[in-house]
Amino acid sequence: MAPTETPAATTRAGSQIGRSVPRTEGRDKVTGRAEYVHNMRLPGMLVAKIFRSTVAHGLIKSIDTNAAKNVPGVLHVVTIDDVRKLIPNPYYGPAFHDQPILADKKVRFVGEPVAAVLASDPHIAEQAVQLISAEYEELPAVFDEVEALTSNVFVHDELQPAATFADLKHLKGLKNTNLALSFKLRRGDFERAYAGAAHRFEHEFRTQKVLHLPFEPHATIADYKNTGVTLYTASQGPSFVRTEIARLLGWPENRVRIKVPYLGSGYGAKLYIKLEALALALSMIARKPVKLALTMEEMFYQITKHPCTFRIKSGLDNDGRIVARKCEVFWNGGAYADIGPRVTQKAGVTASGPYDIDNVSIDSHALYTNVTPSGALRGFGVPQLVWAYESHTDMIARELKLDPVAFRRKNLMRDGNQHTTSQVLKDAAIEPVMDLVLDRMAWARQLEKGIGVIRRGRGFAIAIKTVTTPTTSVAIVNVSADGSVTLYCSTIDMGQGSNTVLAQIVGEVLNVPAESVRIAQPDTDVTPYDMGTLGSRSTFHMGHAARLAAEEARDKIKQLARDVGEPEGSNIPIAELFKKRYGMQAGNIVGSGTYKPDYVSPAPETGLSPNVTPFWMSSGAGAEVAVDTETGHVEITKLVNVIDCGTAINPKLVETQISGAALMHLGFTMFEKMHFDGGQVTNASLADYKIPGIRDLPGTMENLWVDNFQGNGPFGAKGVGEVATFCVSPAIANAIDDAVGVRLTELPLNPEAVYRALRAKAGNPLDEA
Amino acid sequence: MLMMKAGVFRPAKLVSLRKIESDYTAITVDARGLTIGAMTTLSDIEQSEDVRAHAPLITQTMLTLSNVRVRNVATVGGALAHGDPHMDLPPVLMALDASMTLVGPKGERTLPVADLFTGYYETVLALNELIAFVHVPAQNGKQAAYMKVTTGAVDDWPALGIAVVIVSDADAVRSVRIVASAATDKATRLTSAEAALKGNRIDDKLLKRAAEAAVEEVEFVSDMRGSAPYKRELMRVYVQRAVRAALNESGER
Repeated sequence: MAPTETPAATTRAGSQIGRSVPRTEGRDKVTGRAEYVHNMRLPGMLVAKIFRSTVAHGLIKSIDTNAAKNVPGVLHVVTIDDVRKLIPNPYYGPAFHDQPILADKKVRFVGEPVAAVLASDPHIAEQAVQLISAEYEELPAVFDEVEALTSNVFVHDELQPAATFADLKHLKGLKNTNLALSFKLRRGDFERAYAGAAHRFEHEFRTQKVLHLPFEPHATIADYKNTGVTLYTASQGPSFVRTEIARLLGWPENRVRIKVPYLGSGYGAKLYIKLEALALALSMIARKPVKLALTMEEMFYQITKHPCTFRIKSGLDNDGRIVARKCEVFWNGGAYADIGPRVTQKAGVTASGPYDIDNVSIDSHALYTNVTPSGALRGFGVPQLVWAYESHTDMIARELKLDPVAFRRKNLMRDGNQHTTSQVLKDAAIEPVMDLVLDRMAWARQLEKGIGVIRRGRGFAIAIKTVTTPTTSVAIVNVSADGSVTLYCSTIDMGQGSNTVLAQIVGEVLNVPAESVRIAQPDTDVTPYDMGTLGSRSTFHMGHAARLAAEEARDKIKQLARDVGEPEGSNIPIAELFKKRYGMQAGNIVGSGTYKPDYVSPAPETGLSPNVTPFWMSSGAGAEVAVDTETGHVEITKLVNVIDCGTAINPKLVETQISGAALMHLGFTMFEKMHFDGGQVTNASLADYKIPGIRDLPGTMENLWVDNFQGNGPFGAKGVGEVATFCVSPAIANAIDDAVGVRLTELPLNPEAVYRALRAKAGNPLDEA
Repeated sequence: MLMMKAGVFRPAKLVSLRKIESDYTAITVDARGLTIGAMTTLSDIEQSEDVRAHAPLITQTMLTLSNVRVRNVATVGGALAHGDPHMDLPPVLMALDASMTLVGPKGERTLPVADLFTGYYETVLALNELIAFVHVPAQNGKQAAYMKVTTGAVDDWPALGIAVVIVSDADAVRSVRIVASAATDKATRLTSAEAALKGNRIDDKLLKRAAEAAVEEVEFVSDMRGSAPYKRELMRVYVQRAVRAALNESGER
């Protein structure tokens, strides 16, 4: 929409909630005008390329940079020794300060940055990188998360928790362990209840290593000067980057400026601190602006989703009630902790699922291994858990010949029940979500399964999740003298549409069309603190902050009207108020808002808390499949995704978030996988690692939400972004079992896995490779 | 290109063929069939009415061959000279009994596409030799099918490709060529399967026998798209399906 076409005249103000406002930045993006770090150039800027480790675990004996230094056009070849001269303690990370800016004496995964070349031209830098060589004394490596718990191979000599997280303090200086964090929850007495249960079930599930693959790879430009540093970076969390860069420099935060233009998606890959520390160090060394931008191939060595092994046990009474459940979850964190310990803890809280179980024992372990680090990926670990507990739920129902719907209904948590943590459930529409899934699947009708080569089946799954908490958002609303409105906040619009939703919230409060509200680009010199654009938290947290800021501005406008002698209820335009007050078009009205929900830390011994989350996300998925019994190919003929997002502030955006999340997870479910050979990724490119394309879409796909109101949410809303990822995998696995009677317990559910299971079931297993 | 980008292939010299491109981008028809310049893009082949009329199997294959961006720049000569066993065109051209005109310092020679490949990314092309033209005999009513079997995303490289060109009447199969790719280290004619079919009438039992002969005559390569034992099963199934598809029969599903 061009500025002159502002639909002020056609759109009724004060009715911004529940309206499918087109994305405010959409036009700039589709016409190639939106700014991205990859396209930015600063005067005198150098470019950096990274030389990476070829071994999974080893001591660095020597690095030969001479040939690279002699390449014309190369200005610097940098190793950790050069960095340390300027940054004495060159380690970073959100939970642990365990990641060196460049490998320090040791390499811990194939692909770890060991040296960097600075040149005026990226091709020269690339060529010079090829001339660097390093010698390593190889050490035994550990790759598997379960093995890592008891292995004698230690990825780190000593744990280095960040001081920012009080609950990690006890881990400081621990040696001879790969265990970065264990989260524990104890409710009732699992052992006694399980021993006394009429039926006992025990299963193990695994998920593979996959990655985010935002279409814009990571990119950062650092411009260091003695007086201050500016970073232009593709980040989901500029406030955190500022804190961490200031810490590395020993500077106050106000000398560090982080600017974030648009992001070509993030999915959690661009959270916390990624390239920023190295870009800073390189700019300090070169005394020039430095751009560090990854290729798509390098993304495979930056951050991934956590592979996970989940051992789950359930005890049932004769009435079909789950009386005891034990969850042991092992998270493969890779070589550096990143936010893994938080994934371990926050996901661990809901590992027993949306079921009301009196006796629960949860142990969730974050483990170091010698592979690319793992971090947050659209769901913060919850999709891995749901994959296990909803497959497990179906397997129990199948074995006891219980109806999968009735079995779930009997054990479901409902509003007013205590969640496993002891928090009382409120505004969590779990059962309505399940009911809508079943309705859209026409569950009451029998499915024609077929008798030939193609067999059909259907399955569903349901889930809950907490929101990452306690986290803080701050917003500023600025009303200019002509009455136009700007929102200043550090929420990053990476394609999810946060700018549009926040404009709707501000517009609703100030009674102006969302299309007329401008959102300032995140810039820590200008936009206030936000914990990060992650975990489906922005609509709720920043939504509240923006609402509060707009309300304060609205109150100040009313005060201004009183000050200039306007009668109560006057509808004089805001610009006239400013003119009356200042004698010309001048001045501002500034409102600010800060939001941080209440929270009670889980008790360290029991993991229990009366308030672990300000809202519950819930979702469900139903799948119909057609399985080719001769080849194992699975066609998803129908996929129904249902979520509870409270009020849908922007229905169109809710729908696209649901479909995007579900399709992303469809790839993780059906075929995406990073293949490894001795720690080396063997398919590190989009030529060999495919994500779903248009032809991988299910035959029919429905993306829906239930009618619900989140009592403590802004206008009744809560988060959306990750919610539809949770249930895709188990819904499909349950459908495959329904179709052909085989149960897969490891992702992906690719044709060979299905075919092998079919052959095994027929008593004629296929030869191993 | 991908290999150069990944640094796996580092040519000392690159020779641009752009200036001679216009001599090798035409598609012509004569009594024997099609002659396609080696630098003709796959998009041009896809959209050619002559190709559609005389070798519809090629037109059909284009629909699932990579994506429109690649087809806009990739050439038929490149698809052959690369020697990549995962390519879709080599088995199709082999099944159609296509041949090539090769040019080198000593002049021209003609080579059947079936004789081009010697192994994984290996061909008989000399270092100073170029593919100039591809000659495709007209299909002339022969029935044909190409089945691309992917095990990941639909748009992934195949785990198996099967091309079939067949002439069959109510009594017997008169002629048939079946070529497999991707599951093997090079595009490979399944001559035992062809022999099993030829002269016999198509039925379930015959197709099973041909498929059995097919999997016995080739070596399967394990990779991330499937283990060798699994690809063997895929071939067993898809030899039958491809013949049926060529004959427009659906088979038991």
